[in-house]
Amino acid sequence: MEAQPFPPAGFVEAESSVDGILVYRPVPEDTGPGEAVVDFSCPRCGGTTAYSVGGGGLRCEYCGYYEAPERDVVGKGAREFEFKVETMERAAHGWGTERKDLTCEGCGAQISVPPESMTVSCPFCGSRKLIQRPGSQDALRPRFLVPFEMTDEACRRTIREWLGSSWMVPGDLERLAAAVDLTSMYLPTWTFDGAARARWRAQVGHTKTERYRSGGEWKTRTRTVWRWESGNVTRRFDDLPIPGTARLSPVLMERIKDFDLSGLVAYDPQFLAGSHAQAYDVPLEEAWEAARHRMREETRAACRDQASTSKIRNFSMELDFSDESWRYILVPAYVGAYRYGAEAYQVMVNGQTGEVAGQRPVDWTKVGLAIGAALAPGVLITLAGLVTVLLGIGGVVAGAGMVVLIVGIIIGFVIFQKARRLDDV
Amino acid sequence: MSERAAERTGSTIPEGWGRPLQAAVCEHCDWQYLVGADRARTRCPHCSQTALTSLEDEVGELPIVRPPEFVVPFEVSPDGLEQGVETFADGIPFPPADLNAETLKSRLEKVYLPTWLVDVEADALWEAEAGFDYQVVSHEERYDDRHGGWITREVEETRTRWEPRVGRLTRMYDNVPAPALEEDARLRERLGHWDDGTREPYQPSATAEASIALPDRTPEDAWSAAVLAVRQRAAGECQRAAAADHFREFLWTPTYGQRNWSLLLLPVYATAYRDDEGHAHALLVHGQTGRIDGPRRASLRRARRVSMIVGLVALVILALGLAMVAAGLMVPPLAAAGVAAVLVALVVGVAALAPMLLVWQFNRRQEAAG
Repeated sequence: MEAQPFPPAGFVEAESSVDGILVYRPVPEDTGPGEAVVDFSCPRCGGTTAYSVGGGGLRCEYCGYYEAPERDVVGKGAREFEFKVETMERAAHGWGTERKDLTCEGCGAQISVPPESMTVSCPFCGSRKLIQRPGSQDALRPRFLVPFEMTDEACRRTIREWLGSSWMVPGDLERLAAAVDLTSMYLPTWTFDGAARARWRAQVGHTKTERYRSGGEWKTRTRTVWRWESGNVTRRFDDLPIPGTARLSPVLMERIKDFDLSGLVAYDPQFLAGSHAQAYDVPLEEAWEAARHRMREETRAACRDQASTSKIRNFSMELDFSDESWRYILVPAYVGAYRYGAEAYQVMVNGQTGEVAGQRPVDWTKVGLAIGAALAPGVLITLAGLVTVLLGIGGVVAGAGMVVLIVGIIIGFVIFQKARRLDDV
Repeated sequence: MSERAAERTGSTIPEGWGRPLQAAVCEHCDWQYLVGADRARTRCPHCSQTALTSLEDEVGELPIVRPPEFVVPFEVSPDGLEQGVETFADGIPFPPADLNAETLKSRLEKVYLPTWLVDVEADALWEAEAGFDYQVVSHEERYDDRHGGWITREVEETRTRWEPRVGRLTRMYDNVPAPALEEDARLRERLGHWDDGTREPYQPSATAEASIALPDRTPEDAWSAAVLAVRQRAAGECQRAAAADHFREFLWTPTYGQRNWSLLLLPVYATAYRDDEGHAHALLVHGQTGRIDGPRRASLRRARRVSMIVGLVALVILALGLAMVAAGLMVPPLAAAGVAAVLVALVVGVAALAPMLLVWQFNRRQEAAG
């Protein structure tokens, strides 16, 4: 031990409760990036810098100054945290950089923006009634995030294509793409790991075919024989994502949820420069409850799959969770709102993959015509068929008309459902 | 006092003992004692095989006769002592005539056993893995179709987080115990440890009416054990310094300063009994807890005597039975009674073996346990 320097590199002195004994501990992780306020002013012109998606660093929008990126990619190896009692009860550490928290009077969304941000409209509902409130301290600090991979221009192109990709929407909708009030935003997300070990027991029905003699004849009948079965199932869950905000449409969030977590990087305030970020409003405990619900339902399905047939009754199971851990991460999304007529519509784009989800207004005239066109052949042929029946020629045409009409009704129903889903959130 | 000074030899007993004592040795087990003048011819408390041989003017033959620094007083109450002895003597089938509670109590004598204490300064670099407990929340869930869904139970589990710690230690360790007798480990295993928290500075009156066993290990011999005790104490202090709940993989590179050695006397009672073969068996009683260590022997001789008496009875019944069977040739009803008597004789004959089997089995169990 003498040959090595003392204390070893990476160790700092810790408090000792015994005289004559010095104690050194590894440098705590939490003293890394974080609590100090970071200045995002351009060192050349004093303007505001913003995170550059293309370069992955900070770029000044005014003079073009560029600061090289520092990207510490940790991927799925990013540290996970256990459900410590104190963690569950703890209040947190803020964002590690100076930010301004706003509340939308329209929808109640809470958003965090850079202090110099001149944002005047809510990215969720388009409302311009935003009030500033003191920065929340009741939030865990995000330690990892997935950075934006998609530029604002690329996102607008994607939205334009998406707006014009359906014949059910108004024809002038595509031109609104340029008018979409688009905001790059980091959304809070919880990810959960865990192992579920389950023991199940149930009565499983087996169908038996029997031959019996009745009235002097051999007949066949089937009956179900119930037998008790049991088994064990172990399932591991890795990075199950649960949205950390309930302010956004769960339907839209579900559609853009597939983020590649191998792109996770250590949290650094520079990634948030020029972007909005939302603090979680779904607390850890509530998100964990939602994750557990999915885990146990998947495990229950796996248990039922183990049974020798699908006929199951008196099913019971016991389930123990172990190795549970969580992460609080930020994922990139473009959140936009646009108005068509008097209505506001939301649109969201996965900032990593470009997946688009959103509401689109439906041109019900077009949809009505389409449904009418689907029904028309059937109606006409059926009417013609009725005439032939009345004339006593025969019912073949009427029968064919009914078949075509039924097909038309099915097509019309599908079109109607699809149209309804266009503005469904 | 230095190690060299501790190995004092001389022709007289040092005055530090504060009362007249004689040196004595057991020729059988080689244990050495200091005893009062009136106890010079007593039997060896350790083995009880022979009387102690007084060394008179040969004190210089003894390696260590230094006075102790501390004494742990006798603490077991007379009632507790009596009860312990009675429990020991109770439950032995066919006990030797000499093995009874009254005899054992009458032979109880106080003896002090020595142990070394060393004061030493240690300077070391150390490293270890420190464990910190924390609570996590987990869940157990039950599902039953008949009860309509999930029932969730939240459970808290204690887990340990292990982190490396390194450090430097400069500490003085006082009164670290080290064995002064070769049999120290065996005695502690059989009798249990002594609580030396009640130790008192040595006063001559404390050892009045007591024999004092002398060390048969020098401080050099005892140092290796003392080092282990110092290490254990240092590990505990480093754990406390790091405020850790657990400690493992403790490594250190100590250098030791001047060592001061002294003696601590530990209290035991000694007593003894002879079995029916005339063999002496020594018993030791812990002076603080009353726990007794020593062989419990059943008397094979007594068992044999009882077996012979029962066997003779069986033979008499057998003879009577055979006579009745012979008489039955002339008086037939006597034949049946004779056969019954023969059967009884056989049963009694077999039962006659029971005492000897019982004693043999008891002694065997005691040997296996001891």
